[in-house]
Amino acid sequence: MKSRTINKLLVANRGEIALRIIRSARVLGIKTVAVYSEADVGAAHVAAADEARLIGPPDPANSYLNLDAIIAAAQTTKADAIHPGYGFLSERPEFARATEAHGMMFVGPPAGVMAALGDKIAARRIAIDSGVPVVPGVGTGDLATARKFAASAGFPVLVKAAAGGGGRGMRVVNDAAGFAAALEAAAREAQAAFGDGRVFLEKYLARPRHIEIQIFGDHHGTIVALGERECSIQRRHQKLIEESPAPGLPSSMRDRMTEAALKLARAAGYRNAGTAEFLVAGDNFYFLEINARLQVEHPVTELRFGCDLVAEQLRIASGERVAEPSAPRGCAIECRINAEDAAHDFRPAIGRVIKLNLPAGPGVRIDTHLGVGAEVSPYYDSLIAKLICYGSDREQARARMGAALGEFSLVGINNTAAFLRDVVASAAFARGDLSTRFLEENFPHWTAAGDDLNAALIAAALIAGGILDGARPVVGSVTPNGARNDAGGACMRTPWTELAGFELWGRR
Amino acid sequence: MKLKLVGNTRTIEVEIVARDGAIVRTRIDGIDVIAELEPLADGAAILGIDGRRIRIAGARTRNSILVVAGPASFEFAPVEGRTGASRHGLAAPEVTAPMPGKILKLLVAEGDRVEHGQALAVLEAMKMETTLYAESAAIVKKIRVGAGDMVDHGVVIIEFSPAPADPSMSESTAPDA
Repeated sequence: MKSRTINKLLVANRGEIALRIIRSARVLGIKTVAVYSEADVGAAHVAAADEARLIGPPDPANSYLNLDAIIAAAQTTKADAIHPGYGFLSERPEFARATEAHGMMFVGPPAGVMAALGDKIAARRIAIDSGVPVVPGVGTGDLATARKFAASAGFPVLVKAAAGGGGRGMRVVNDAAGFAAALEAAAREAQAAFGDGRVFLEKYLARPRHIEIQIFGDHHGTIVALGERECSIQRRHQKLIEESPAPGLPSSMRDRMTEAALKLARAAGYRNAGTAEFLVAGDNFYFLEINARLQVEHPVTELRFGCDLVAEQLRIASGERVAEPSAPRGCAIECRINAEDAAHDFRPAIGRVIKLNLPAGPGVRIDTHLGVGAEVSPYYDSLIAKLICYGSDREQARARMGAALGEFSLVGINNTAAFLRDVVASAAFARGDLSTRFLEENFPHWTAAGDDLNAALIAAALIAGGILDGARPVVGSVTPNGARNDAGGACMRTPWTELAGFELWGRR
Repeated sequence: MKLKLVGNTRTIEVEIVARDGAIVRTRIDGIDVIAELEPLADGAAILGIDGRRIRIAGARTRNSILVVAGPASFEFAPVEGRTGASRHGLAAPEVTAPMPGKILKLLVAEGDRVEHGQALAVLEAMKMETTLYAESAAIVKKIRVGAGDMVDHGVVIIEFSPAPADPSMSESTAPDA
């Protein structure tokens, strides 16, 4: 294929990943276009791009999932390529197809490959045909077939969305009684999240590890693998901590998994970045799915291989050959800090960043779109920062992660940083004794340490008494289109509109 | 002052008893806690407590105080002397939306008796389904929303009236006179 240069890239995403893609594009001399919803007026990715286009209201169905609005934004800004990021439209073949149909490059696999792999039922079939082991299951959520499968394989079984990802539309069913309800709930969640309510079933493995292989293919038929990532620390099928290498994974096993991933990628005619996910139980591994996009946890691979996967995606999209990976070194761990209340069943939290202290230091990287005044709204997912630490070995990476999480301080939005700190510090994590049940087994009911609670109570009393600063910074509030971004309410007000509060609670 | 950890029913009493320079004497649920306060340039402070130095910072919002102690984040709601509903054995006279979202399903009807921990409604927010549960036994007096409605944070979803005492229940569960 003839190389085509990317001059201007539209980033069809938001949050940390949009910012991260814009940064790599800028370094390559590529101009960038951000798109944003009304809830993201003034967001970091909008500020970072060379141009920005409003694409719709906060509801993602009408903005970040609005294919026509995004293609139109790319056309009017004369972008010649689109990067979909992860989530949203990233695994929609029709988005890749529409991008190409309008004469632009899609930074990802071809639409046909995406259609085959993005459908988890079809992907299972490709794996079976390639001789790659899959988890026992059936490719339908039909109640009669489901009952028959459960009767032969035994409970628990896992209901999964054919179009799923990130744990949405997924349900564990422990007995026949809850079956119909679980199928219905999974289908409804899948329909709402992906516009595709088809579900299928897999045997639920007891204590598997989740290990995945990063792959990269180019237009010239070369496919390479860039090591593995262990993503076993999950809550409700949402990954929370990822690391590479997978602790204690025998190299023979790694080789077999790498081989299987390459075989699948070749069978599918894969191009650009992708990830083959496996469950590992004892000496066996089972193919789960290929995620046909950049993964949230890709920085773990970047730190070990000393590369920039987004830059590599852009090079490959423009027709260049995939670079031969260098030898991996050391260990990298990523923690996903979410806007959730870890002490109360991980209830989603929203709000505005009032005060923020981000960690730094050797081997510490943080990918976040947060800054003072940034808002976490209820419309999008709860990931607010990714903290990635590199060490020459796992112990150093783990120690750096513990120290970095200790430095993270965010006033305004409840978040999971303290929970992650405790997980990383735990003996079970230190031993590398990992499975997807890790959190259930080791942290079934986490609460903050007594000292932290006492310090927080004293802080609250000091703020109420006017001894400690409890004022909120004044944040600008008028959007370019004249609408007031009002969801944060009180945080937008100034002392001049709230004189009483100012006098009562301000610093003395 | 009395504080409730948001999301939790437990109330904790915290008092600043005295300040002597950097030394702050406090009482938390009747237990004396002595801390050393060192203000920082950015409005935060270091609190020395039990030999640990913990960075604290916070802010007031309309109806709560947001605080961090190191990386741990907390939201406290000041508790006024509450009477009324709680005197009748209701943990809360109503269920409100804990966050903005869409009502997916209502699992109870007006007039139903619900038990502590019973699922009441399913709310979709941040692309996840959240089930709302009853905090105590009660009678569903009024349902103020319909399935499919978008609700804002704090909007009342269900109103309760106290459940009549169940004669079959043992003495120990009846409220003391």
